[in-house]
Amino acid sequence: MKILYSDIKKLVPGLKAIPKQMGEFLTMAGFMMDGFEEIKYQGKKDFSISLEVRHNRTDCLSVIGFANEIAAKWNLKVKLPRVGAIPASAEACPTLSFRRASVGKHELPLQKKSRNIEIVNGKYIKRVLAYEINGIQNKKSPRWLIDWLALYDMNSKNLLVDLSNYVMLLTGHPSHLLDTTKMHGKLHWDMNKKYKTITTLDGTLVNLTRDREIILRDDKNILALAGIVGGKKAELDLNTTSIIAEMAIYDPGTVRKNSSGTRVITEASTRLSRWLDPNGLDYAMDLLINLILKYCDNQKAILKKFNYYPRKYSAPKIKFDPAKPAIYAGIAIAQEEALKILKNLRFTVKKNGKHYLVLPPTDRLDVTLEEDLIEEVVRLYGFEKIPVSAVPKLEVVKNITPKVVNLAEKIRDILSILGYDEILSSPLTTKESNKLTNYTDWELVTTQNAVNEEYPDLRQSIGAGLLNQLEEYEKKNLSFIQIFEVGKIFGQIGKKYEERESLGILIYDSEKNNDINNLKNTLETILRYLGTDLINYNKSVKKPAITNPFSCYDVIVKNKPIGIIYKLKPQAASLAQRPWQLKSGKAYFAEINLTLLSDIINTFKNKTAVELTKKLVTLDANLELSKTSSVNKLIENFKKKIDRRNLWSIEIKDAFPVGNKVKYTIRVSYQELDDPEAKKLHLKLFRLNS
Amino acid sequence: MKQNIIYELKSQLHKISSEEERKFLWRKYMGKAGLIKKLLGNLGKLPKEKRKSEAVAIQKIQKEAIDLLNRKENEIKKSEFKINLEKDAEQLEYTMPKIGHLHPLTQTIRMMNNFFIEMGYSIMEGPEIETDEYCFKRLNVPEDHPARDMQDTIYIEEPNYFLRTQTSSIETRILEKYDPPFKVAFPGRAYRNEKVNKSNHFVFHQYQGVVVLKKVSLKDLFGTFNYLFQRMYGKDVIVRYRNKYYPEVEPGAGPDMQCFNCHGKGCRLCKNVGWIEMGGSGIIHPNVLRMAGIDPKKWMGFAFGLGLDRWAMAKYKITDIRTLLGGNLGYKYYENENTL
Repeated sequence: MKILYSDIKKLVPGLKAIPKQMGEFLTMAGFMMDGFEEIKYQGKKDFSISLEVRHNRTDCLSVIGFANEIAAKWNLKVKLPRVGAIPASAEACPTLSFRRASVGKHELPLQKKSRNIEIVNGKYIKRVLAYEINGIQNKKSPRWLIDWLALYDMNSKNLLVDLSNYVMLLTGHPSHLLDTTKMHGKLHWDMNKKYKTITTLDGTLVNLTRDREIILRDDKNILALAGIVGGKKAELDLNTTSIIAEMAIYDPGTVRKNSSGTRVITEASTRLSRWLDPNGLDYAMDLLINLILKYCDNQKAILKKFNYYPRKYSAPKIKFDPAKPAIYAGIAIAQEEALKILKNLRFTVKKNGKHYLVLPPTDRLDVTLEEDLIEEVVRLYGFEKIPVSAVPKLEVVKNITPKVVNLAEKIRDILSILGYDEILSSPLTTKESNKLTNYTDWELVTTQNAVNEEYPDLRQSIGAGLLNQLEEYEKKNLSFIQIFEVGKIFGQIGKKYEERESLGILIYDSEKNNDINNLKNTLETILRYLGTDLINYNKSVKKPAITNPFSCYDVIVKNKPIGIIYKLKPQAASLAQRPWQLKSGKAYFAEINLTLLSDIINTFKNKTAVELTKKLVTLDANLELSKTSSVNKLIENFKKKIDRRNLWSIEIKDAFPVGNKVKYTIRVSYQELDDPEAKKLHLKLFRLNS
Repeated sequence: MKQNIIYELKSQLHKISSEEERKFLWRKYMGKAGLIKKLLGNLGKLPKEKRKSEAVAIQKIQKEAIDLLNRKENEIKKSEFKINLEKDAEQLEYTMPKIGHLHPLTQTIRMMNNFFIEMGYSIMEGPEIETDEYCFKRLNVPEDHPARDMQDTIYIEEPNYFLRTQTSSIETRILEKYDPPFKVAFPGRAYRNEKVNKSNHFVFHQYQGVVVLKKVSLKDLFGTFNYLFQRMYGKDVIVRYRNKYYPEVEPGAGPDMQCFNCHGKGCRLCKNVGWIEMGGSGIIHPNVLRMAGIDPKKWMGFAFGLGLDRWAMAKYKITDIRTLLGGNLGYKYYENENTL
């Protein structure tokens, strides 16, 4: 929203602040100055200040709104342009109906129709104020008005339209003027029942939806999208002599939906899609009519007023403790100062026992609670007065960081030391990627309006992102890749959406120097560092489509499956366009459910320190197993048979395939045993003859 | 002849370098058939009165020869040891072991986490599939509220389930789950239905925090921010705090950092404003506390949020936001620039 310095000076007599001061105050008070320009207006030096208007301050989508702010800051009063009484009548006719509607102590006539105006469907209408004016002459606007509108980035059309825009910018209330000679019958406010399109004032054809838009129509045509834009049918021109000038307040949510649904955004819809003060229409309309009568030839002007206002808006009375702004700000703000600020902002303040009752002006619909008043005081007092250099000393509180957060951080450190690079990827992926990498029994989660239609699904495995990165790195000729990612994976089980924190690790080697055991060692380094060596592997039952099915294992920790490790096959059929294919080399992938692991880790205790009082005794044993037997299981069984206090290490020293068997050399180191004791145990363990 | 033995021995010892050669000389001079033994053997041929003095002289030669031979042995041993050491020696080759790297966003988050942990905060996370209840309603953003205009949502099941549009949804869950007092920071992803280009992405990263105690103020909030910015940008950083509107806080505030490019004068980077908006914050709205079951008469809090992507991009000189989520992100093998 732009304001002219000269306009503010007119509205705030006695203002001495220079334009930069004004701009800086408004910035700190909640309206960021994003433009400042010295200009010439009416031959004089002036300043145009552009400000961001916060979403909840619709009153400041007007010059008067900002004048109120500035007057409050410098202890001045706003002087509104004078409006004289309007010689109009409420028409008496057979169709007129009066009904007393009472809201609290206010009683208003409820005027739903007159001879020429009717509210057919008032569901989303808060207020309509309209004037029928006959016997005026539209014409070109005077120079000052054309120039003024230009400073506000608006083109002049004709006097009536220009005055309507002028009043909108000044007061914040949009109006719509219709040429009644181009209308057929009455002007109706209604819901759109039958119109498929409307041609707007700028010639654009807009598609409409039945039962969605609030419209203005006559007995034949659609004339306007209410609160948004007028139509060409009743457009004003230089020959216009009879008009209906209307201002209205609608349900802002409906105007917003209609505006975004039709993709028409105007100055009017920007204002009316937010909460505007219905009571403000009186002054705004009076000003407009006064200006029309002043500038249009009007010796024979006849005016008829129409006022539909079923429930008058009254501002809430708010209980206020003037000591609170100081508490919220953290600095001393005198109570008298707090009350003075509110009064400067046009709030009515009355003492009520120990506290005060504050009544905001009706155009401040954003103020409904005591906290809103506190904000008003502190922002006008000045945020810049709050010191920032002291480091706050807040009380010490309990640490509630969940284990999985610390776990993920430790894993990142371990992997980066081991030479892995971290990548992050989008959780939205292709159907192909999910099909290739998913190995869990859960359903897909799909978005309804993905930004990219090719990536509609949430990833079911962290492998989806790592595979994508692998493809990119292959294209860029990286020959050796070690990457990992920690992130969420998603699925649906029944009606419930599930998310898990997952770790994925991928190795790719174009020169084929690595094998799956390199990845296994990485995995075990992580798990052992975190406190467990109870790690086993089972051949996977549920395998992802991208795996070599003969080289795919579930990772088991403390008898719980927590992940998977596998070798990627060099190519895999997929759904369509991009079948998976490795250029060359070998790739391996492992995934661990960190959410599950963080539960298991809790039960581990790290007791590796021992006292060595004797030398270690190291002995070998040779075993032969079939190729299908698991030597790891065998070793686990041996471990169980040895007292942990006597076992230093047990490892496979050599493995030699012979036909369909494998000959293993197992090396065991015993601690705290003499040579004969160790030998005796060894012979017994491996059932060897002495 | 006696005089010549030592002279010749010395001369021959000077020419040899191996233990084998030395042993040969030992046998030649000291052996049973050696030269010195011969001299001793010839003593019987001498007159009686000359035998004693001659024996003393030969013993002296013998002793000297033994010394020379032993010294040579030591010398040879040292030399052989040195040769063996040289053979055993290994040369340093030019190798560059692979080291891994953490993602720029992880490094950024970690730096912020460390800061807040130092200030006594816990670190949290929360679900990315959210509901209207936690992402909007409990943040004081009802259906027809203008603040909803600001966010276009990616739905899973409209209108009930969607990808969270802000990490503030974690705040509502923390407020619900934990009894005050607490101080929590929570980095995370958020999603908005926006076109993807060099500077915008539908997936973005935020860093937020919430503090609920018996008493807090804007001064505490601004002091926290100031301390954070000084850590991030140095002690000379200039920050201002101005009033801003967010439905979930009242009063609301936002920190602006003076543009480091033009120092407040205005330039393209800061869109001629002289300041760069860094985030949002404020005192938690009483409605938000009430909806979480926390009595706003007994407890107060502040909340804050910062965008992470642009900060990480500026720090690591990444010009395209799409790089952060894979694709073009790589780590140089031969450099390890860890300038945090």
